[in-house]
Amino acid sequence: MASIQIVGLEKHFGEVKALSNINLEIEKGEFFTLLGPSGCGKTTLLRTIAGFYHQDKGDIYIEGELINKVPAYQRNTGMVFQNYAVFPHMSVFDNVAYGLRVRKFTKEEILRKVSAALKSVHLEGYEQRTPDKLSGGQQQRVGLARAMAIQPRVLLFDEPLSNLDAKLRIEMREEIRAVQKSLGITSIYVTHDQEEALVISDRIAVMNQGVIQQIGAPWEIYSNPQNTFVAYFVGKINMLKMKLEPGTEDGMRRATLGTLSLLVPAEGTESRSEIIAAFRPEDVLEAARSREVNIMVGTLKTVSFMGSVARFELLAEGQEIVIDRHRPREADMPQVDSNVSFAVHADSILLFDPETGHRIGQGAK
Amino acid sequence: MSTENAGLTKRSKGPGFWSLVILGGFVVVAIFLIYPLFDIFRYSFLDKTTLKFSFSNWKAFLSKIYYLRAFWHSMYIAIMTTVLSAVFGIPLAFFTTRFRIRGTNLLNTLAVLALLSPTFIGAYSWITMLGRNGFLRVMFQAIGINLPDIYGPLGIILADSLQYYPFISLMTAGALMTIDRSLEEASENLGARSVRTFFSVTLPMVLPSVTGGALIVFMMSLSNFGTPMIIGGNYLVLPTLAYNLFTSEISEMPGMASTVSIVLILCASVVIVMQQWLSSRRKYASMLVNRPIVKQLKGLKSLLAHAFCYFIVFMSTMPLAVIVYYSFRKTSGPVFKPGFSLESYRQIFFDIPKTVANSFIYSIVAVILIASIGTLLGFVIARRRNAAVRLLDPLLMIPYIVPGTVLGIGFIVAFNRPPIIIAGTAWIIILTYFIRRLPYSVRSAASILKQIDPALEEAGINLGSPPGRTFRTVTLPLMQGGIISGAIMSWVTSMNELSASILLYVGGTMTLPIKIYLSVVDGYFGTASAMSTILFVVTGIAMFIVNKYFNRGSETFIGA
Repeated sequence: MASIQIVGLEKHFGEVKALSNINLEIEKGEFFTLLGPSGCGKTTLLRTIAGFYHQDKGDIYIEGELINKVPAYQRNTGMVFQNYAVFPHMSVFDNVAYGLRVRKFTKEEILRKVSAALKSVHLEGYEQRTPDKLSGGQQQRVGLARAMAIQPRVLLFDEPLSNLDAKLRIEMREEIRAVQKSLGITSIYVTHDQEEALVISDRIAVMNQGVIQQIGAPWEIYSNPQNTFVAYFVGKINMLKMKLEPGTEDGMRRATLGTLSLLVPAEGTESRSEIIAAFRPEDVLEAARSREVNIMVGTLKTVSFMGSVARFELLAEGQEIVIDRHRPREADMPQVDSNVSFAVHADSILLFDPETGHRIGQGAK
Repeated sequence: MSTENAGLTKRSKGPGFWSLVILGGFVVVAIFLIYPLFDIFRYSFLDKTTLKFSFSNWKAFLSKIYYLRAFWHSMYIAIMTTVLSAVFGIPLAFFTTRFRIRGTNLLNTLAVLALLSPTFIGAYSWITMLGRNGFLRVMFQAIGINLPDIYGPLGIILADSLQYYPFISLMTAGALMTIDRSLEEASENLGARSVRTFFSVTLPMVLPSVTGGALIVFMMSLSNFGTPMIIGGNYLVLPTLAYNLFTSEISEMPGMASTVSIVLILCASVVIVMQQWLSSRRKYASMLVNRPIVKQLKGLKSLLAHAFCYFIVFMSTMPLAVIVYYSFRKTSGPVFKPGFSLESYRQIFFDIPKTVANSFIYSIVAVILIASIGTLLGFVIARRRNAAVRLLDPLLMIPYIVPGTVLGIGFIVAFNRPPIIIAGTAWIIILTYFIRRLPYSVRSAASILKQIDPALEEAGINLGSPPGRTFRTVTLPLMQGGIISGAIMSWVTSMNELSASILLYVGGTMTLPIKIYLSVVDGYFGTASAMSTILFVVTGIAMFIVNKYFNRGSETFIGA
């Protein structure tokens, strides 16, 4: 039995359709992430599961129980908030004990459970502190401890790390992941940070404009995006709208954009004359060092040196193309405005329908 | 669901807690506002003798000079008071925020103390100074100067503006303190002199606050009953006209009093609409990166700035000082004798202990109602905005536009006949206090809530605490300081309330302000002064508590 099941969920805010036909099944113990840009409906979905919003249509089941009519305070979900929402008038202990007291646990049980929760977020000894004496990261740990202490059926994370600085964010996301795995509580995590989503999740649902675009494991989402939105939102990708020449050779077809020319897999392109060909910067090879047939040339506009990678922005046929040079050496860097040639392996090219944005050919589902 | 979470399994039945609060809000509005106000409205369209629908009252109001004159008087007084308050308030605000004026805190405290004390006491104090036998008049006559007569419009405007100018000075000062210094620096950097900077940058930025304060002054002056009653003489304004008409019509239909009341409500509504329009039009959000500099003035300039500030505040506080002085003078009945004594205080506590007790009991009961119901309604307005609440919100603001005199008349006509008869009881006075102060309480609770992150309440709910319990354990403790300081302010205003209760009291439900008013009218200045002094002390203590323990600035006191 799925831990969370959502069937045909719809939600409007006035004229705006915030969620449309959401269907999800989340397994017990799974770390499930809702990823998307702001306004995509991810937070709305999370808050609807928590019971802070009520759907216009559709059903939500938690552990097989239909909870449409269950008020928020009886859903037994543990939420971790973006701005921590740690009660400022209570000590750390009282914050974590809050949900336990509501549940009428005995004093001893509360003491034991609070200690355990604080221990798992490394806040032992902070029991009597007041929140104003805590850093942002510590406050969020209190928020996490408070949510887990009630042993909820599901943990709901609403962009819990977005108010923290970059370094702490990385530290905390690893901790959240570790705590979640050790407790085995089903978790739904909302974020707009694709890197965070890739690192932390068992599975990801990418959302846009209230619609789930794709559900899959991080590897799947990144390497096998099913439409241009997912490809574009997760990671960096180059997209070229190209004309297809008639005829195939060895299961390949030639696609052109001005002087740019690529051989792409013919599968799925049969009745088409146009295609979007996409490839990621890191899949680009140095032309001189490869025996690749797909070699293109662009004018170098900017170089961003990022340590392990140098990212080039090229201009070719009026299109901006981004490519990565791995393990860059200063001596090898070309001059700005010089021509740079690069190669793309046909297997690295993803094809999309220019009209619908849907994936076609190999890997399309 | 696991057995450990047994506390969560029971499901609530019936309407939620907050639905009941919203329903309760509508019931309060319907019974204590719509019903009495509709009664007044109805009476204004009933012919006195035939009891049939007619425009006779309105025809009389619009055709008889007696009524129309009161309308023009009211307008004149309100406009002049507003202008004079601005003349006192704006420079005071500018000087105290931009120049180093010694004792600024003391000046603000004194100004607010004068503002909060019952209006008619100030008026009566001016009579003791500048009345026919006033000691200042006598002093000036001795050196050959004849001061103008204090009775009539001049006295009303003087007493009103010296009491109400803090609305303008405090609101303007608040705005002046939050202008980012960089804006004025930018102006000077672009080549403007400081005078030009003041008129082209500073003043336009604070103008919304100045007009906001000015409209409050206009409103307060328009609905003020005590001052024109004490010092106005034959100069009738709308509230005193309504009162006179009502007390003379008492045996018959209060048709004319009702008509005048409706006119008053209409005038007040126009002012409120203007205020809403102005405040929605322009607001300058300030990030307050750099606080304005407080300049140290030197020599004559410093002397003049100090002189102005101290003179204004001295003039507004002097009436209180005079009253306190008289309260300790020896008296024999209405006559003051040389020397000092506590005779006046002895008389209060031995002759009218019930009046003192009434004032405290009524205002405390009222405050409990105001604070509890106001907080609950403030919560639904800030946090539960559905169609019903959007309708309730403006209804709860009605008391803003109903002067005390009008509410008093409405309560009498509505509640001395079935189905609800509470005329002559303590409850009618308590409920008047409650209704008059309710909008302030609702507003302040709502604005406190706007500073509390809703996620905190959601966290409580999410952890399994039902809405009522979440409110009690999360929201309420966070609102506490604001609620208590608001309640103390409500208590002070209730202790000092006269204009509605004077119409509603009977012998056994007399309160201090009513007794003071009657003593003044009867010429017993000694006991009136002693009672007034008690009210000052109570007001002062309340202000001190709010300042000291709740860290609230002067803005709290002006109910803004």
